[in-house]
Amino acid sequence: MKLLFQNVIKTLLPGSLLLAALASIATAQEVSRLRLTSLDSLAARASQTVDVNIDERLMHVAATALTGDDSKEIKKLISGVKGIYVKSFEFEHENEYSPADVEDVRSQLRLPGWSKLVNVTSKKEGNVEVYVLFNGDAVGGLAILSTEPKELTVVNIVGPVDLQKLAEFEGEFGIPDLGLEPIKPKAKKEN
Amino acid sequence: MRTRKIPAIGVLIIVAVCATANSTGAMSDDFGSVVKMIEQFYRVKHQGIPFLAKAGMKAATTAARIKGGSARQLAEAGSIKLAVFENQEFNTAGRLTQFRSALNDVLVGSWSPLVQTLSASDGTQTYIFLRDASDKFHVLVVTIEPHDATVVQVTLSPKNLALLMQDPSDMGREITEDASTVDPD
Repeated sequence: MKLLFQNVIKTLLPGSLLLAALASIATAQEVSRLRLTSLDSLAARASQTVDVNIDERLMHVAATALTGDDSKEIKKLISGVKGIYVKSFEFEHENEYSPADVEDVRSQLRLPGWSKLVNVTSKKEGNVEVYVLFNGDAVGGLAILSTEPKELTVVNIVGPVDLQKLAEFEGEFGIPDLGLEPIKPKAKKEN
Repeated sequence: MRTRKIPAIGVLIIVAVCATANSTGAMSDDFGSVVKMIEQFYRVKHQGIPFLAKAGMKAATTAARIKGGSARQLAEAGSIKLAVFENQEFNTAGRLTQFRSALNDVLVGSWSPLVQTLSASDGTQTYIFLRDASDKFHVLVVTIEPHDATVVQVTLSPKNLALLMQDPSDMGREITEDASTVDPD
């Protein structure tokens, strides 16, 4: 009986561990993908709205189909990225959106795993916050929250991102120019 | 055996009906549903594609412009569907998000939204949706301006899609311009 039990454990354990590992990867991806639908109501008040959704399938197309020397850097930049989601709103007047409008996004960024990088600076006016989802030491996802008096932008990159090259994403795949300065190595974390 | 002669005018009517049906993808697919939805929402009517554009349309320059290389075709041959609305009123005041929801409702499930840009200040809207077409992609672009609108569906290779995706906010304009431009060659 004991032998049978040991055999069953030996057979099932590797499979269970693999399933657990896959589940943890799936969960990390789910957590790093922010729900941004709460921002959609802002479109009715905004003078300009941009909404970009590049999912895993399209990231794979971009990573594999681009060829030529010019594409090498881009392919390297997006290697492993599972999705890029951007919502950007421009308003005619100040105070046309409030902190409450962004609260649902912020509440997701307060969940365990997300950390705010404190050493991020932008050349632009307003406030740019960068949040990173760490899986151990690896980056599993990233969010940028840019709040200006007449502009709000939320960028969500799902999957691993090289923080040193974050500024290189600007102007690519619908990510607007946020004036990000290159992040210094060994980014300090703030929970 | 008695044969029945169809008058010449009848033949012309049949040809015209077939051409109109073809120009909007027979109205039975999502392309046709989108055209119909725009017509109902804004109370407008699409026009048949100008014959020359339909016969000779060829997206020859977009990929070349992006790559800076020699001219090559962007859309797959024969894949372009185009519906044009010209000189009509697209009153968007306070209805941008309503239209957006209605359009998304028509395409939900089978198409994925890639880019949606709405400008309340100048009344323009651009929507780009994608769906798999085996090893290629169908791209549906809806552009609404205050007095004109276009609905374009093309099939793109993964390579051309990847090129356009690098600047998704300009992708709709590139596809629409090229799909509605007659190649001088």
